[in-house]
Amino acid sequence: MTVELPEFSAEERAAQEERLRKVWATPGGWRYWTSVNNSEIGLWYGVTAFTFMLFAGLLGLLMRAQLATPNNDLISPELYNQAFTLHGTVMMFLFAVPIFEAVAIFLLPSMLGARELPFPRLSAFGFWSFLLGGVFVCGSIFFNAAPNAGWFMYPPLATDKDYSGIGADIWLLGLSFIEVASIAAAVEIIVGIMKCRAPGMRINMMPMFAWYLLIVAGMILFAFPPLIAGDILFEMERMFGWPFFDASKGGDPLLWQHLFWIFGHPEVYIIFLPAIALMAMIVPTFSQRPIVGYSWIVLAAVGTGFLSFGLWVHHMFTTGLPQISLAFFSAASEAVAIPTGVQIFVFIATMLAGRVIFSVPMLFGAGGLAIFTIGGLTGVMVALVPFDWQAHDTYFVVAHLHYVLIGGMFFPIVAGIYYYFPFVTGKRLSDAWGKIAFWLMFVGFNTAFFPMHFAGLRGMPRRVYTYPEDFGWDWFNLVSTVGAFIFAAGVATFVVDIFWPKPKRLERNLNPWNSGTLEWTNDPSEDWGMRSVPIITSRYPLWEQKNLQADIEAGRYYLPDAKSGRRETLVTSVLDAEPIQCLRVGGVSYVTIIAAMALGGVFIALTFHWWIATLVCAVMTLAAVIYWLWTGTAQIPEHREEDVGLGLKLPIYVSGPASVGWWAMFITMVGDGTAFASLMFGYFFYWTIHSDFVTAAGPGLFWPMVAMGLYLFAWALTIAARALNEKGPTGCRIALVAAILVTLAASCAGLAGPYVYGLDPTQHVYPAIVWIAAIWTVVHGAVGAIMQLYCLARSLTGRMTGEYDQDIRNVTLYWHFMAFTAIVTFAVIGLFPMVAS
Amino acid sequence: MATLFFIMLIGAALIWAGVVGLLFYAARKRRTYSEQVAGKVILWGGALFPAVVLAALLSYAVWLMPNVRPWFGTDDPGLRRIEVTGEQFWWRVRYLDQDGAALFETANEIRLPVGERVTFSLTTADVIHSFWIPVLGGKMDMIPGRTNRLSLLAEKPGTYRGVCAEFCGTSHTMMAFTVEAMDPPAYDAWLATRQSTGGQDAEGHALFMKNGCSACHTIAGTDAHGVIGPDLTAFGTRGSVGAGSLGNTADNIARFIREPAKVKPGALMPHYAMLPVAETDRIAGYLKGLQ
Amino acid sequence: MKSFIPREIETLWTLFTAPVVWALHFVICYAAVAIFCAKRLPASFDFDTMRIALFVVTLAALAMIVLAAWLAWRQWGFGADDPPHDEPTKDSRALFQGFATLLLSGLSFMAVVYAAIPLIFIAECQP
Repeated sequence: MTVELPEFSAEERAAQEERLRKVWATPGGWRYWTSVNNSEIGLWYGVTAFTFMLFAGLLGLLMRAQLATPNNDLISPELYNQAFTLHGTVMMFLFAVPIFEAVAIFLLPSMLGARELPFPRLSAFGFWSFLLGGVFVCGSIFFNAAPNAGWFMYPPLATDKDYSGIGADIWLLGLSFIEVASIAAAVEIIVGIMKCRAPGMRINMMPMFAWYLLIVAGMILFAFPPLIAGDILFEMERMFGWPFFDASKGGDPLLWQHLFWIFGHPEVYIIFLPAIALMAMIVPTFSQRPIVGYSWIVLAAVGTGFLSFGLWVHHMFTTGLPQISLAFFSAASEAVAIPTGVQIFVFIATMLAGRVIFSVPMLFGAGGLAIFTIGGLTGVMVALVPFDWQAHDTYFVVAHLHYVLIGGMFFPIVAGIYYYFPFVTGKRLSDAWGKIAFWLMFVGFNTAFFPMHFAGLRGMPRRVYTYPEDFGWDWFNLVSTVGAFIFAAGVATFVVDIFWPKPKRLERNLNPWNSGTLEWTNDPSEDWGMRSVPIITSRYPLWEQKNLQADIEAGRYYLPDAKSGRRETLVTSVLDAEPIQCLRVGGVSYVTIIAAMALGGVFIALTFHWWIATLVCAVMTLAAVIYWLWTGTAQIPEHREEDVGLGLKLPIYVSGPASVGWWAMFITMVGDGTAFASLMFGYFFYWTIHSDFVTAAGPGLFWPMVAMGLYLFAWALTIAARALNEKGPTGCRIALVAAILVTLAASCAGLAGPYVYGLDPTQHVYPAIVWIAAIWTVVHGAVGAIMQLYCLARSLTGRMTGEYDQDIRNVTLYWHFMAFTAIVTFAVIGLFPMVAS
Repeated sequence: MATLFFIMLIGAALIWAGVVGLLFYAARKRRTYSEQVAGKVILWGGALFPAVVLAALLSYAVWLMPNVRPWFGTDDPGLRRIEVTGEQFWWRVRYLDQDGAALFETANEIRLPVGERVTFSLTTADVIHSFWIPVLGGKMDMIPGRTNRLSLLAEKPGTYRGVCAEFCGTSHTMMAFTVEAMDPPAYDAWLATRQSTGGQDAEGHALFMKNGCSACHTIAGTDAHGVIGPDLTAFGTRGSVGAGSLGNTADNIARFIREPAKVKPGALMPHYAMLPVAETDRIAGYLKGLQ
Repeated sequence: MKSFIPREIETLWTLFTAPVVWALHFVICYAAVAIFCAKRLPASFDFDTMRIALFVVTLAALAMIVLAAWLAWRQWGFGADDPPHDEPTKDSRALFQGFATLLLSGLSFMAVVYAAIPLIFIAECQP
C-alpha cells in the first residue's frame, strides 16, 4: 500500500489537535465518572480488580494463619468457611477475569490502531456493573452473610437455607450480574478486534495479544452462559422450590456440577490465555526481535480454546460416572497440555533467536513460567484418573491450582504492569524495588505452596478449618504459612512501588523499552489515543516502518482531525483490514451508570426478595437501555460520507453484516443460544437418569405446536417488515404491528401448554424443566416484541428509513435466533415425550 | 498406582529441569540462533515430544483404571458388603449379608478382612460427602439420589483413618472414621459376636435412658433403639469420639455430651451442659465401658 | 479431484474446521456412552458394538481432519513458503492462514486419537 502522505502546517496541526482534544476530552469534577473513554474505564476496571485481589489475598492470609498450627482456633469454622468461599470466588470472578477485561479495554484500541473500541458505553456499563456486584459480594463478609458453601456452590449444601442463609443468594445474584458485565466485555472485544483494526493490519499482522483476546472473548461466550443457566435453575430452586437439584423430587445435584464445570474449566484458560498474551508482547520486546512461531501461537490459542471445553468432568472424577466417560475427559485434559507446551516453547524459541535484555518484566515473566511449568506438570498428573482418585480434593490440588494460576496468571500480570506502567503514566516503576518484590514473591510463593503437594499426598483434605496433630501435616502447614506471609510482603512491596511518587522524566520518551508494537506511539497525556490512524505493513511497525511515530504524531494518516465534532474511529474488514466505515462512537454519558445501577438494583432486590423493588428496578433498567439505544445508536448522519484523510471518503452509517451493531447482536445471541442449549442439556440429562421422566403428564401437544407456529409466523412477519422497509415505511409498519400482535399471541400460547395441563413445578423436576423452557422462550418472545415496537417507533419518528435500516436488520437477526429457540423448545416439550415413551 | 506416580514424578522433575534450563540458557547465552533452528525447537520440544509422551502416559493410565477399580457385580456370592451413609457429620455403617440384608449397624468405624475385596455401597442422608480411606485407595462421592459403589482391598492388617473429602458444611473438618483391617478369621469372629449385649453398668444405662439419649442412639441388646444419631453399640472399642473429633476417653466423651457444638461446630446433637457433671461423667463412663 | 474438493474460500472460519471436528467427535463419544450406560439404548447394542461404532466415528473424524489439513496445505501452497508469513499482502495472509490451519489440524488429529484411547482399554460401563 503506497500512498502519498499529506503535510500539514504547524497551525493546521494545532487546530486539529485542539478539535481532537475537545472531542475526546474527559470531563472534570465529579462528572469525571461519566467518562466512557477506554483509557479511563480500563484504568478504573484494573484498579478495582486489583483491589479485590488484595482483599481476597488478605482472606488467604487469614486462612493460612488459622492453619499454621494444628487445632488452632484463631478464627471460627463459620468464618473460615466464608473466607475460603469468598477467597476463591473473588479471585476468580472479581480479579482474574475482570483484570484481563481491564487490560484489554485499556490496551486494545492503541494496539490495534483504533481511537476507541466500538462500544465505549458498553465498556462503561460493564465496569459499573462489575463494581456494584463486586462490592455487594465482598461486603457480605462484614455482615457475616458471605457465601459459605465453597466457590463451587454444590447443592444440596448450597440450597440448604439453614446452612447457607442469604450468602448463597448473594453469590448467585451478585455473580450473575458480573457475568453480564463479562459477556458485555466479550462482545466489545470480539467486535473491536475483528472490525476496528488499523488499515492494513491483516490477520497475519495482528499483535499476539489481539489473537489471544479474540479467542478468550469467544470462550467467554460459550463458557459463561452455562453458568448463567445454572444460576437461574439454582435461584428458582432457592426462591420458589423448583426441585432442579433436589433428588427427592427427581432433580439431581450432579446437573449443577456439570453446568458449573462447563463454565469452570474453560474459565481457567480464560484467565490463563490473556496473561500469556501479555508475555507474548513482553518476550519479543526484550529479545529485540519478532516472535518466532507466530502461527504456532495461533495454534496454541485456538487449540486451547477448543480443548478447554472437553475437560470439565475432570473435576468430577470421583462422582461415580462410568470409567469410560472419565477417560474421554482425561484424554482431552492430556491433549490440552500440547498447545500449552507449544506456548512455552514459542517464548523459549524467541529468546534463543534474539538477544535477551534482562529486566523486571522479564524476571516476573520467566519466574512465572518456571512456576507455571510445575503447575502444568502436576496438571498432567491429576488429569489421569487413577491418580486423581487419590489426589482429588486434597492439598495436592490446592498446590496444583495455585502453581497454575499464580505462575500462569499472577506473575505475568505483574510483569505486564511493570511493562505497561510507562504506557499508562509516562513513568517507569523502580527496577530495584521490582527485583526485591520479585524475589520475595518467588521465594514466598514456593515456600507457601510447594509443601502443600506433600501435605496433600499425605492425605490432608481441602477446606478443613483445622487438622489434628501428628499426621505429618504440622510442619508442612507451618512452612506454608510462613511462605504465604513472605509472598504477601512481595505483593506489598509491589503495591508500594506503584504508589511511590516518581520524579518527572526530563525528556519525553513514549517508548522506553524500544518495543515494536503500535500502542507505544500513544502519548499518555492525551485522551485521543492515536493522533492519526496509521497504515500498517508490519507485525512490529515501530521497528520496521520508518518514521512511523513522527508521521502519526504529525497527523499524516487517517482521521487526523475531528471536524464533525464527534468521536470517530475506523471500521475495517475482517481479514485484510480494508477501511469500510467511519464509525461514530458514544461519548460521555450518565446513562451507562444509571443502567448499571438499575440492573444492580434488580439483582440486589431479588436477593432480599423485595419483589416490588425488583420490578421497579427492572422497569428502570429497560427504560435506561431504551433511552441509551434511542439516543446513542443508529443515528442518521447529516451527510453520507466522511472524509477520513488521505483522500478517502467512508460511509458513516452502515447496516447489516458490515456494521458493528449487527456483529454485536450476533455475538450476544450466540452466548444467549449457549445458555439455552444448557437448559436443553438439563432436560435431556434428567431424561437419561430417570426411566419414567417424560411419562408423567406433560404440556400436551396442541399448545406447544400452536406456540411454535405463531412464533414462526411472527418471525416471517419480521423478515417481511425488513424487506418492505426498503420500499417504504407503510408496509413495514403494518408488518411490524402484525408481528407484535402475533408475538404476544405466541407468548400466551407458549405458557398455555404447561398452564392448561396444570403442571406444578414444585412437585417434580419434569414440570419444572418444562416450565423453565417455556418461560425462557416466552421471555425472549417478549424481548422480541419490545424490539419490534422499538423499530415501529423508530420508523414513525423517521429515525429508521429504507436507507438507514440498522434497527430492523439487527432485530431481524435477533428473530432468527428467536425462531430457532422456539422451534427447539416446543419441539422438545411437545414432541419429545411422544418419541421417548 | 504407585508406579504411575513415581514415573510421573521423575518424568516431571526431568521435564521441569529441561524446560527451566533451556529458559535460563536462552536468557543468558551470547550467540543468537537462526529462526529455522528456533522453529525446530518449537516443533520438537513444544509439540511432538509432549504429544508422544502424553499419549504413552494416557494409555498407561487408562489401562490402569479398570485394574485399580475392578468391578464386582452386586450379586456375586461370597462378596463382603458394607453400606456406608454419609450424614452431617458422621458415618452410618451397615454390614450386609450376602443377600443384601443388614446384619447390624454401627457408626464411624469400619472393619475389613485383610486380603479380601470389600464392596461399599455409598449413599448420603443429606448433602454430598466423599468417602475416602487414603491408605487403601481413591475416594468416591456420596450423592443424594444415587448409590455409588467402590471396592477396596486391604493388604496389611492395621488401623487406618478415613475422612470426608467433599466439603459438607460447618464441621466438614470433623468428619473422619477409623478403619480396622483384621485377619479374616478375627474379622469373622468379630462379625459373629458383634450383636452383643449392653454394658454391665446398670446405673449408667438408666441415666442414658432417663436423659433421652435413646431417642437418637441405639445400643444393641438394650432398649435403646434411636436411629437419628450414630449407633453406640460397643462404643468403648471405637477409635474416636464424635467421628474423629476427639480421642476415645471417658473425659472426652463427657466433654462431647456436655457441649457437642464446642467440640464439633454445627453438630446436630443437642448439648447437655445443664445436667449435673456427675451424671454426664457417669454416662460417659458407661459408654466407655461398652465393649 | 477438483470436482468435489471445494475451491479456496476467503474467510476466517476455515481456521476452526479441524477443532470443530474434534468437538463433534468428542460430543458424540460422550453422549453416546452416557446414554448407552444410563439407558442401555439402543437395546440391540452391547458395549463392544458401541466401541466399534465409536471407532468408526473416530475414523470418519480423522478423515475429515485429514481433508481439512489437505485444504490447509493447499492454501499454504503445499509448503512452498516458510513462515513467518508477515508480508503486508493478501498472499502472505493466505499462506499464514493455511499454515495455522494445518497446525491446528495436526493438533486436532492428535486430540481425536487421544479420545479414542479409552475405547481400546475400557470394556464396560463400570463406574
